[in-house]
Amino acid sequence: MTADGAFNAWFSLMTTVSVLLLVSLGLAVVFGLRRVINLAHGEFIMFGAFATLTATRAGIGLWVAMLIAIAVTAAFGLVVELAMIRHLYERPADTMLATWGLSLILVQVAANIYGSVTEGIPTPLGSFGVGDYSMSTYNLMLIGVAWTLATVTWLLMRRTRHGLLTRAAAQNPVMAAGLGVNTRRVATWTFAYGAGLAGAAGAVLAPVVGVIPTMGQLYVARSFMAVIVGGPAFLAGTIGASTVLGTVENLVSRGYTPVIGQAMLLVAAIVILRFLPQGLTGLRQRGGLV
Amino acid sequence: MRTPAAGTERAASVAGAPGQGDRRPGSGSARLRARISTSRAGLSDLVVAAIAGGLLLLAGNLVAEFTAFEWTLWAIEVILALSLVLVWGYCGIFSFGQAAVYGIGGYAYGVFALNVAERTGETLSALVVAAVAGAVFAAALGYFMFYGNLSNIYVAIVTLATALVVFAIVNSTAGSAYRIGDAVLGGYNGMTRIPRITYRLPGGDPTTLTRVQFFAVCTGVALALALALRSAGRRPFGRIAVAVRENETRSSLLGYDVRRHKLLVFTLGGAIAGLAGGFYAAWGRFMSPTVFSLKPAALVVIWVLVGGRFSVSGAFVGVLVVEGLSSWLGGPSGDRASLLVGALLIGIVLGLRGGVVPTLGRLWREGVRPSLAGAAIRGDPAGSDPSSPRVPESGPRHDRPPSTPASTHPGGEAEVWLGAGAGDEAGKTIEDGDGAPGALLEVHGVSKRFGGVTALDDVTLAFVPRQPSCIIGPNGAGKSTLFGVLTGYHGVTAGTILLNGEDITRLGPHRRARLGLGIKMQVPSVYDALAAQENLWLAAYAASGDRDAAQRWAARILARLGLCEVADLAVGALAHGQRQWLEIGMALATNPSVILLDEPTAGMTRDETERTERLIAQLARHATVVVVEHDMEFVRRLDAPISVLHMGGLFTQGTFEELSRDERVLNIYLGRGADGPTGRTDADAG
Repeated sequence: MTADGAFNAWFSLMTTVSVLLLVSLGLAVVFGLRRVINLAHGEFIMFGAFATLTATRAGIGLWVAMLIAIAVTAAFGLVVELAMIRHLYERPADTMLATWGLSLILVQVAANIYGSVTEGIPTPLGSFGVGDYSMSTYNLMLIGVAWTLATVTWLLMRRTRHGLLTRAAAQNPVMAAGLGVNTRRVATWTFAYGAGLAGAAGAVLAPVVGVIPTMGQLYVARSFMAVIVGGPAFLAGTIGASTVLGTVENLVSRGYTPVIGQAMLLVAAIVILRFLPQGLTGLRQRGGLV
Repeated sequence: MRTPAAGTERAASVAGAPGQGDRRPGSGSARLRARISTSRAGLSDLVVAAIAGGLLLLAGNLVAEFTAFEWTLWAIEVILALSLVLVWGYCGIFSFGQAAVYGIGGYAYGVFALNVAERTGETLSALVVAAVAGAVFAAALGYFMFYGNLSNIYVAIVTLATALVVFAIVNSTAGSAYRIGDAVLGGYNGMTRIPRITYRLPGGDPTTLTRVQFFAVCTGVALALALALRSAGRRPFGRIAVAVRENETRSSLLGYDVRRHKLLVFTLGGAIAGLAGGFYAAWGRFMSPTVFSLKPAALVVIWVLVGGRFSVSGAFVGVLVVEGLSSWLGGPSGDRASLLVGALLIGIVLGLRGGVVPTLGRLWREGVRPSLAGAAIRGDPAGSDPSSPRVPESGPRHDRPPSTPASTHPGGEAEVWLGAGAGDEAGKTIEDGDGAPGALLEVHGVSKRFGGVTALDDVTLAFVPRQPSCIIGPNGAGKSTLFGVLTGYHGVTAGTILLNGEDITRLGPHRRARLGLGIKMQVPSVYDALAAQENLWLAAYAASGDRDAAQRWAARILARLGLCEVADLAVGALAHGQRQWLEIGMALATNPSVILLDEPTAGMTRDETERTERLIAQLARHATVVVVEHDMEFVRRLDAPISVLHMGGLFTQGTFEELSRDERVLNIYLGRGADGPTGRTDADAG
């Protein structure tokens, strides 16, 4: 393979991995830190995408529209946490059912408002060439955004006081509360942050995918697989799992079809979990939460 | 203090008096009542089902053909809901994939029927294929999930993700290239022209079922399955499923193969869902990939939630209520139906945790008979629902005055223990394999490291039959790790463990339990939601495999533990000491040759501790008893050989008197722990 061909293959691989990382980050935060299984995660992504779409239709520039979308989705997450999730901590099965109900409602509401037809935001930024290949500059940005968000989240958790309190509240809520941490507020903000990350994924993906009410279905299964395969150290785990599973998906997709690629992602995830039930980072005995 | 000589005397006197009082008649009547109550329950189920079936058939013939046609779909959906009642309600497997299995069954029916119907003139074989396809799909998925020890929540996610991936795959099979024989899959357009259900009697012409006949068949299958499920709930298969749902750890400690049982139940549920899917394909003559999407997956869960997940009859109610509501709101494909489903999910979870029907039932009962409110404690959630698997009434409770074990007869003749009954009826099915109770448990050079921490370092120990042995040591000495290694919950890093000379080092907990290892955990691990007698039945059945013998054996242990008065109460409502005894009783009911007790007196009062100590002395006459303890006073009174662990290694061994004169032991342990019980230790594993 020529050098430009190799770069093209690598670029395509990185794009798949980064998309997987992007859509999984929000889930990783709420599941990793709060053990909340948010089946409406895909709809949070959809929410971010539609928020971006609505803002650009109102004449707001795309980049600003994306920022607005992130903020709006985070605010929506805040409301969901206060109204629903906070009554359901320590009841994982019930959380799943309730968020599933929320997911069905959000899809239907979006379909009622926007219809079920594909909406388009033109992909900005054009393309760049490497040798004989032309690649989307926007995809390059998408890769950058995914890894930046992962890094920011890591720094937030590891280098700030708020992150320390969040990890404390996640590891031992009773002790953290005993030391004066307002665990309820921490939980609320964590969930809102996760929702914001999902909104960011939706906003960034809006120009490259079909923005339709059922788009969340495309991502929810994959992001759950990435987070579960990642294991207890949710950030490192999700990055690792996104890389492994994204690679499988990308290679198989290129050899066969994208659908077979998705199926193989699932098969790979199930096989990994068969032999590493705690996920990729489950082997570390004293692993931290990040 | 009890001397060994006194113990032997009592053992002899016990062996000489096997026919004490009510034992035989008590167990006999227990057996009879169990039989009668089982057959009575089965009979009343049968009557209800027959009446319901008759009425439905009548109605199906009276209403317009199209109405019967719509009802047929509901009957099919009841079958699907029943598969989830089995999988989730009985066994606690949180499957979101039942609708996907249903879809697999539907496509399997379609593909097979399209290929063979014209040649053979019947499609009944395609229905079989649908059920088999559902079972195979569920078994393949279940193998990876259950043998990977995925937790319940992960099972839910994996089943859901699987459904979505199948959705994507089937969706993408549009075009004539994707065909299996004569069957075109059709991708997002769906598979069309699926044959109706057709049969052919030998020598006759192919006959297609009319709509009313089809309705009758589906209703009949739904009712038959409901009967089968209720019956299974009274039989070992269903009761073990409930045990697995309630406490996996305890179930495997009793010797049940939890993973295998879950796989069995899930596969059976897959067969039922697949069959329902086959009916569905024949009903609509069309399969679309949307059956694999999120909404159908949610719908199945909703039906079962509305009806109550433990309730077989709830599957009927749930389907009728939800489907009736959505068809009233504008059809299952309408916008509002989706909103209704979502709102129902959230509402049930936030407001009505037990499900709509059970909650209404409870409110009704509480409103009508407030004096019985206390009955709600009983067995909730498993016991409050009549269809949920429960033990039939047992006899001895009524035949004899309630007694407590040693307390009412301190040191008296009544203090017989159960092993003495080896000669009577129950003993024939539950007894030691070689007739020589007690087995030699040996540990050779066992080490266990967790990452960089060495929790056990080259420990060699032998536990001799027919006497208690104690393991003591300060916090962090490795006691709990040693216990975990003996039970099979921790693998060893090096060394071997032998039970009667047989290497059990690599065996998991349930295999060890079957070889005669009885285990009592530090924190009582019992089936909190089940009745005390059901707990003991599960333990006895694990050893005997005989339903009636297990029933008698459980009744006797219940009597000996002095728990007859609370036999039907959910164990979660019992006092701490009672739960501890119950767990010892359960370890005992498996008729073990070695009993491992981890801090049996933790959290007990002094009086309870003394009773437990007598209990252990009695156990030791029939089995090898290993006690890990923290309470030095208890260890002293037990008068057993003691092994001292320190820093993960075997420090020294001896009697209490020898050790209490040993300066080194005093330094590392007694010096710190001499002022009494110091509570639990849990940090050994590091």
